[in-house]
Amino acid sequence: MPPLLSDRLLPRLSSAPLRAPVNVTWEITGACNLRCAHCLSAGLRSQRRGELDLDQCRTLLDELARMQVFQVNFGGGEPFLRDDFLEILHYAHHHGITTCVSTNGTLLDEVLVDALLEMAPVYLQVSLDGACAGTNDVIRGRGTFERILAGIELLAERGYPDFSLNMVVTRLNATEVGDFDRLARRYGAKTRLSRFRPSGGGCHTWDDYRPTKKQLAELSAFLGGHPEILTGDSFFALTPDSRRNLGLNMCGAAKMTCAVAPDGSVYPCAFLSDPAFLAGNVTRKRLGDIFASSAPFERFRALEVEACRGCDRFSICHGGCPAVGYFLTEAMGLPDPECLRAVVPAGRIAERAKEPAKEVA
Amino acid sequence: MASTERAFEVADQASADGAGRAYLVPDWVRVRREDFGLLFYDTRSTRLTFVRSGDRLVAPPFTGSPRFLGVGAGGEGASGEAPAGAGPSGAGRGGAALAHLLEDLVAKGLLVAAAAE
Repeated sequence: MPPLLSDRLLPRLSSAPLRAPVNVTWEITGACNLRCAHCLSAGLRSQRRGELDLDQCRTLLDELARMQVFQVNFGGGEPFLRDDFLEILHYAHHHGITTCVSTNGTLLDEVLVDALLEMAPVYLQVSLDGACAGTNDVIRGRGTFERILAGIELLAERGYPDFSLNMVVTRLNATEVGDFDRLARRYGAKTRLSRFRPSGGGCHTWDDYRPTKKQLAELSAFLGGHPEILTGDSFFALTPDSRRNLGLNMCGAAKMTCAVAPDGSVYPCAFLSDPAFLAGNVTRKRLGDIFASSAPFERFRALEVEACRGCDRFSICHGGCPAVGYFLTEAMGLPDPECLRAVVPAGRIAERAKEPAKEVA
Repeated sequence: MASTERAFEVADQASADGAGRAYLVPDWVRVRREDFGLLFYDTRSTRLTFVRSGDRLVAPPFTGSPRFLGVGAGGEGASGEAPAGAGPSGAGRGGAALAHLLEDLVAKGLLVAAAAE
């Protein structure tokens, strides 16, 4: 196995960034038919800033193709609420761009699934926030577990090849990750666990939903024993050395990725869709120019978490997720408060495949 | 929303010889130029491979078929047509190292070796 990238190339990306993002997160609409309590994009609805029309979407995809961006991760809102969304996917594929869609799964029906199956591979990521209705529905709304599961069952019945079930790990569902993984396997889906952050709607539910230190420590051990579980680089500050080869060892915002809001505003990442990090708008400036030389992106690339330099895990996480610290303190460059060292002191890390303990109600 | 899962590898150079072959980029692979060399992306796995090749390998067009990797002197040979003698024909250790690198990329499914015309 070739040596890992992390210690050799990624740290230099701050001084010599890639010519273009590897992938772009594009929140294609702010519209959504659910009102999830932790929604990252909850602010999109309240801001009502509009969204790019189809021609503007095509123009952006032309630019992404010119930049040779490999992959677009579509989110929202609920992308399938856009009437022209399949057309947008087609146009991305026409340019050779790989697509991934984050969906709440409630709009998946036979017609839509068959249409997706006829396209170039579209990676589907279906959000479900618990292994049972009692947990999921508290977060995503009453009755949603059954509705989402119906969509998942349809994907399984149709033999959809590339889909995952995604759970944002919160205090409510952290003890269900093992059951959630088994649920996903039952439907032939991959398991994907994402990090809960205090941005968007998460600002309001942070105190109630953030996992406890014990839960985070158990999650770290669980992930260490399950390398097949996807995390979308959510937990690089938390996971043990055994997952070192599985993804980024630092925040990739403004270096390997960036985010486009429904109205075309550009941010370093979807979790930093805050006016302080607004780098431009694709309706007024080319994304390539924004990525290469906007002041917010250059500042972000130069960000160093000095307080973490002496940590034994610095080469693994480089200070963790800047968004968490920012939304809690409104300051940048602070250590990730949920890094592994914050929840498990050095020398006490158990890297066994332990399933988080279930709490007895 | 965060990204589809990715993994990262670096393909480095060692020693071997694979002269006389052209290298086709398969339909499922995208490759682009970066300052350090080339960045490969496998659409099937969404895996990235960073190749520190400097100017010795040249990316073909982003899409289209067939796409041949330019091999040899920087800036030469990248096109949609099979370049004559497109293999790593440089003499000595550098050529052998480049050949090994190309074999590594073939083994990863990021290139397909073909006889050069």
